[in-house]
Amino acid sequence: MTAVESDKMTTNTSTLPHSRPALPRIVTDAMPVVVMAVGGLAAFWLFPNDLGLLTRILAAALFVMSLDMVLGYCGIATLGHAAMFGTGAYAAGIVAVNWVSDPLALLAVGGVAGGLIALATGALILHARGLTLLMLTIAVAQIVQEVANKARDWTGGSDGLSGIDPAPVLGLFRFDLYGRTSYLFALAVLIVGFLVARRIVRSPCGLACRGVREEPLRIAALGGSPRRYLVSMYAVAGVFAGIAGALTAITSGIVGLDSVGFSWSAEAMIMLVLGGTGRLYGAVIGTVAFMAIHHILASTDPFHWMLFIGLFLMGIVLFLPGGIASLSARVLPLVKGGR
Amino acid sequence: MIDAPLLQVDGLSKNFGGLQVSSNISMDLRKGDRCALIGPNGAGKTTFVNLVTGVIPPTAGTIRIEGHDVTRQSAEARVRRGLIRSFQVARLFRSMTVREHLELAVLERTGRTFRLFANVRRIPGLADEVAELLEGMGLTAVAETAVGTLAYGQQRLLEIALALAMKPKVLILDEPAAGVPHSESHRILDALDRLPDDLAVLMIEHDMDLVFRFAKRIIVLAQGQLLCSGTAAEITADPRVREVYLGSRAHAH
Ligand SMILES: Nc1ncnc2c1ncn2[C@@H]1O[C@H](COP(=O)(O)OP(=O)(O)OP(=O)(O)O)[C@@H](O)[C@H]1O
Ligand SMILES: [Mg+2]
Repeated sequence: MTAVESDKMTTNTSTLPHSRPALPRIVTDAMPVVVMAVGGLAAFWLFPNDLGLLTRILAAALFVMSLDMVLGYCGIATLGHAAMFGTGAYAAGIVAVNWVSDPLALLAVGGVAGGLIALATGALILHARGLTLLMLTIAVAQIVQEVANKARDWTGGSDGLSGIDPAPVLGLFRFDLYGRTSYLFALAVLIVGFLVARRIVRSPCGLACRGVREEPLRIAALGGSPRRYLVSMYAVAGVFAGIAGALTAITSGIVGLDSVGFSWSAEAMIMLVLGGTGRLYGAVIGTVAFMAIHHILASTDPFHWMLFIGLFLMGIVLFLPGGIASLSARVLPLVKGGR
Repeated sequence: MIDAPLLQVDGLSKNFGGLQVSSNISMDLRKGDRCALIGPNGAGKTTFVNLVTGVIPPTAGTIRIEGHDVTRQSAEARVRRGLIRSFQVARLFRSMTVREHLELAVLERTGRTFRLFANVRRIPGLADEVAELLEGMGLTAVAETAVGTLAYGQQRLLEIALALAMKPKVLILDEPAAGVPHSESHRILDALDRLPDDLAVLMIEHDMDLVFRFAKRIIVLAQGQLLCSGTAAEITADPRVREVYLGSRAHAH
């Protein structure tokens, strides 16, 4: 009886809708967007000489966010997510060099290419789970990389694909030498991408995917097909990864084989774990943290930076298992309690 | 066809390697049935449920739902025909809230889970139906609680609520009161009493109080075989039932 009563006690204090952060939903919903916009613009003013790096970070953040849709929301462990990124980048690059140079059209091309490759390979491999699946994702990325390597006429092979010269955004904003347009364009794409991705993970389909991650058998008992959900979300994430690839191609002007490489997939995984899975904005935080630290350490201590990154990652995993983003969930209640 | 039982099982058998876990089981359930399946540990009760619901394929036998042969159909297809089960070990989405569970179940039943851009909170009718289900099982107060932190008895109630959210025709409950403290099992029984009248229910349960209060017909399974079936009085009077339940101790006396 006492157990029942204490249950009621604890629940009564937290039956406000969406009780976790104990702040109105509008506030918690708007916060990541505001932080991204304000932080993004602040970085634009503060580091005008590093816009190239900052743009790469933004595109990478979109890529890691798409990995979160797969890993964080579906529980699919993958070390081949760069297959979608690279396919999107090459598709946009090839189309830009040969046919169309409108940046928004190129993003669409990248998204479609990334989505299609994810759909095709996802349908093939997502019946597997765990380690087998992990191996299959690596294999897929290796195959894509080898195809890109062999198709020299289209991709430039190991020399990379260059000569991507995008037209002005909306016919108005030229891509300038200092990378200002690139940066602001990437920031806008990231924020819009975040809003759309959040919409998707909160949709019925996103809810079902979280269910598959937790207990696939129960999903089947409810009449759903776990695999169909996984393949759908995998394809949707592929669209986002493809757009991130296209964004990188557009803003950097080149696409190399490393964009499909194993280490790019692995780094994305590290950035996601660092930031925290299953929140989308954790992907952004992790990417910014990883790439900024990487940049600073690599320029100050080119020999030992990997060691420091490794220690940093270990520290996060051991002492902050939910990633950096989980800090906010821990600190907010304290702040509220202090009032 | 009008008189076809909701669930009809014929000659169902299952071997795991050399071990025969179900042998030649036949039974049926009709509208409004309140039936219990009992038997000692390892009798093959859960295996029977897994066979009927399509989790594992049978070695022999047929399963019909409202006259349709579903023996070769997937578990999902059977769910869509109205055959719903609850799990003996709670299989819930631990990090998701009670509300999210029921939302998902209702969305699944109404085939709306592939909508990518819909906002779950704004789907017409969904919130009302979920509220009704929460109310029905007394879970309203914990609607926003992550299921992993819920008291075990409440998880069991959620199991039943999830099954009801599927608007079943045949409901199979695998030990709905397992692990629930005796002081709380009345909550489960209350919930079972309020099940829709025309639903056919098969309950697997060890708690005999619960079985006798709930079931109008009892089926006894032992070593994979259907031993006998009948009313509570018939079952308790049957010496074979005592035999399997009391085993060698009965002989000693
Ligand atoms: N996948 C399997 N492979 C081999 N043997 C199995 C398998 N599943 C179940 N069994 C065996 O089949 C027998 C029946 O198991 P089952 O779980 O159906 O019993 P039960 O009646 O539900 O028991 P309980 O009352 O303990 O829940 C047991 O001896 C078990 O070891
Ligand atoms: Mg069992």
